[in-house]
Amino acid sequence: MGQFMLRRTMYAVVTLFILSLTIFTVVRLTGDPVTLLAEPGARAVDLDRIRAEWGLDRSLPMQYLAFAQNIFTGELGKSFNYQMPVSTLYFQRLPNSLELALAATLISFVIGIPAGIISAVRVNSAWDNVGKTVALLGLSVPGFWLGLVMILIFSVWLHWLPTSGQGGWQHLIMPSLALGWYFAASLLRLTRSSMLEVLRSEYVKLARLKGLPGYVVLAVHAFKNALIPVLTLAGVNLVVMINAAVIIEVIFAWPGIGRLLYEGIFQRDFPLVQGVVMQAGIMIVVINLIVDILYAYIDPRIRLTK
Amino acid sequence: MEKTKLTRRTVLRTAALTTTVLTTPFVRRGQTAEAVVPKGKMTLGWHSNIAARWLDPQQHDGTATPDNFLFANQDALIKNFRDKRYDHLALADKFDFAEDSKSATFQLRAGIKFHDGSPITPEDVRWSYEHYTGASAAVLHERTHAIDIVNDRTIRFSFKDPFLDFPILMGTGNVCGAGWFVPAKYYQKVGKDGFVQKPIGAGPYKLVSQQPGSKIEYEAFEGYYRPVHVKNFTIVSVPEAATRVAMLERGEADIIYLVPGELIDRIKNNPKLMLAPVVSGSWWLEFPGFQDPKNPFHDKRVRQAVSLTVDRKAINDAESGGMGRVSGNWINDDVEYALDWPQWETNIPKAKELMKQAGHPDGFKVDWLTVVPNYFPRGERVISQLKAIGIQTRLQTMERGVYLKRMESGLKEWPGVQIIMNATRIGGSWSNWYDGMFKCGGYQSQDMICVQALDDKFAKYAASFNPAERKKIAEEIQKVILEEYYFVPVFRHAFLNAIGPRLKAAKWEDVFPTALTTGYAYPWEDIELKETAAAEK
Repeated sequence: MGQFMLRRTMYAVVTLFILSLTIFTVVRLTGDPVTLLAEPGARAVDLDRIRAEWGLDRSLPMQYLAFAQNIFTGELGKSFNYQMPVSTLYFQRLPNSLELALAATLISFVIGIPAGIISAVRVNSAWDNVGKTVALLGLSVPGFWLGLVMILIFSVWLHWLPTSGQGGWQHLIMPSLALGWYFAASLLRLTRSSMLEVLRSEYVKLARLKGLPGYVVLAVHAFKNALIPVLTLAGVNLVVMINAAVIIEVIFAWPGIGRLLYEGIFQRDFPLVQGVVMQAGIMIVVINLIVDILYAYIDPRIRLTK
Repeated sequence: MEKTKLTRRTVLRTAALTTTVLTTPFVRRGQTAEAVVPKGKMTLGWHSNIAARWLDPQQHDGTATPDNFLFANQDALIKNFRDKRYDHLALADKFDFAEDSKSATFQLRAGIKFHDGSPITPEDVRWSYEHYTGASAAVLHERTHAIDIVNDRTIRFSFKDPFLDFPILMGTGNVCGAGWFVPAKYYQKVGKDGFVQKPIGAGPYKLVSQQPGSKIEYEAFEGYYRPVHVKNFTIVSVPEAATRVAMLERGEADIIYLVPGELIDRIKNNPKLMLAPVVSGSWWLEFPGFQDPKNPFHDKRVRQAVSLTVDRKAINDAESGGMGRVSGNWINDDVEYALDWPQWETNIPKAKELMKQAGHPDGFKVDWLTVVPNYFPRGERVISQLKAIGIQTRLQTMERGVYLKRMESGLKEWPGVQIIMNATRIGGSWSNWYDGMFKCGGYQSQDMICVQALDDKFAKYAASFNPAERKKIAEEIQKVILEEYYFVPVFRHAFLNAIGPRLKAAKWEDVFPTALTTGYAYPWEDIELKETAAAEK
């Protein structure tokens, strides 16, 4: 087990190293950030001054070393645009993103899981067709369009909800619906297929043969087992929602991490983009590492497989 | 009777007298500052994120954007204000620029304070100037010989040689931040990074809190020397235009910037809202590498034909809802020595004749037409219009940063036959435009546009200390550029903003007082809410 953990940890470190190299290279392929830090009309001497100030006049290896050092110190560098450590910015925005992501996750659960179960139990019925339509719409209707339509209806026409920003629970409704809608659809589809698979399994048939009531078969035997892939997906979805709800956060002027990333990309704020991507990468890699170790702990076959 | 001799001093004296007369109403308002109790809350929907450097005049990036924030939180010795380009007396109540242009003396208003209660002293001015790192810092520092504190309210700058541009640089908020000084002790204590998190200034609004990049909350500074009418002022960053418009419609914002074309009608059709089309940046066509005799644009007749083909009114109508301005010069008329020039005609038959004379009766192929991103539709319109004289080309699109980098890199990035639809808005002096956009080696012109004779004249302009001579040279240079069609001016577009129903404004100019100087709403202290809005909690 110890050897397995060591091997997995090393994989995680290598993954993060590759990620750091990739993001470092990719952001620099987009061009010189100084052209965006100073708008047209700025003098050449001012551009050179800004380059020197932010260390962009150094060689690429030196810049990478500085970036790597910043990862180890946990500061993740200093944002060009905000002039503060990226880690501070990230953790300032994290509660906002968590708030939105948790609300959206709740919505995706409330819509996706019951609808998925009903679709699976009443397969090919009208309920199933409704479920499938909802899933199709959820996956195909763009979040930005849904968000704008909701603003128009609920804010401008009906005056029920605020258009944007962060504040009370009213501010949370539209962005979390717009964000959760897509994930509800994906959960619905996965719950449906997972439930269908489980409902066809031998142990469910046995449970029915034993004469257990339908709801017990569904709740205790089928749903519990069908939930494993659904929860795994929901976990990944949550990380994505925290770190990459870019469009929804922009539409609703929500001060979260997704918008921070958007602003970083838009302004070529290298340290900010690198930092946010690394932070998200670390989150995903660590969660996967923990899941791998837990799987190995639960199922010895995994840790014995080379 | 002895005729009064027109000297620089008499001109300045007259200007000072005129300033006094014109500002008397404001002075009166200033004297009644105590009578105005700031009330209510006003919100501005800002159109992008909020960069930290815009909150610090010491880091001014040489562009118009910091204006919006500086006018709220900071103040300057002299500044651009309403129709005054750079010499409105702000924190200084007296400004004397020596006749030989070798020194400038400012006297601070009596009893003024920063937001933290510390008195504003000449030492703050000196320290800020000496430690200023923003745009034009090099030229200011190089040309300054000494800074002397004359007394507890007076400071004098002496220059190594006549420095005619000094007042423009000090007083133009969208060019340079050196005149917008900071509290020296506080700045040294918290450092540059600390200052942008909690900026302290001497402007009409003091900072209450900020969420970096997304929201700033200000409160009226009651120690300001002019009355401030609205108690709470919030700037919230809302990048999505449709959301900004919805905020205005719902009363969540009172002013929003940048209304895109497709949303203009929503504002126009709502009787409670008011569109504010501020005439802004200038657009023109340029022909990189036209000096090469093989380049078809080498022939003046071809360039003139292009000018005759462009339907400027149609572009203005389509791109700015007709609210921009079809002007003759490529340099905005709100800068020093900008030459007034009549509108250009559109005359396709004449253009065709010129093309024929130039040996291109059927036109020719241009590799690309590139327009400043992301204004691609206006590039498409020019391409479509040029077909009338047989010029066939395609639109080249690229990301804004890539475009700027390529402009900065010069002709090697623009091979073959190319047209660039360029644009800018630079404040201060015409020379900033020439220096950056036309001069050989300029920031955006590089080696793409090199007219040695004009550059020589410009060198003469830069070396001259005589305002009359400078004006003459400036106008001569601009005249040649226009007559030779080195640049083909297109139009000045409108920066479309909107005002909500809570503001006391009979017309949009009450909030955006002029097309001169800043393109944003200001002066913030003068903006008032209607009685009902002011009474809201």
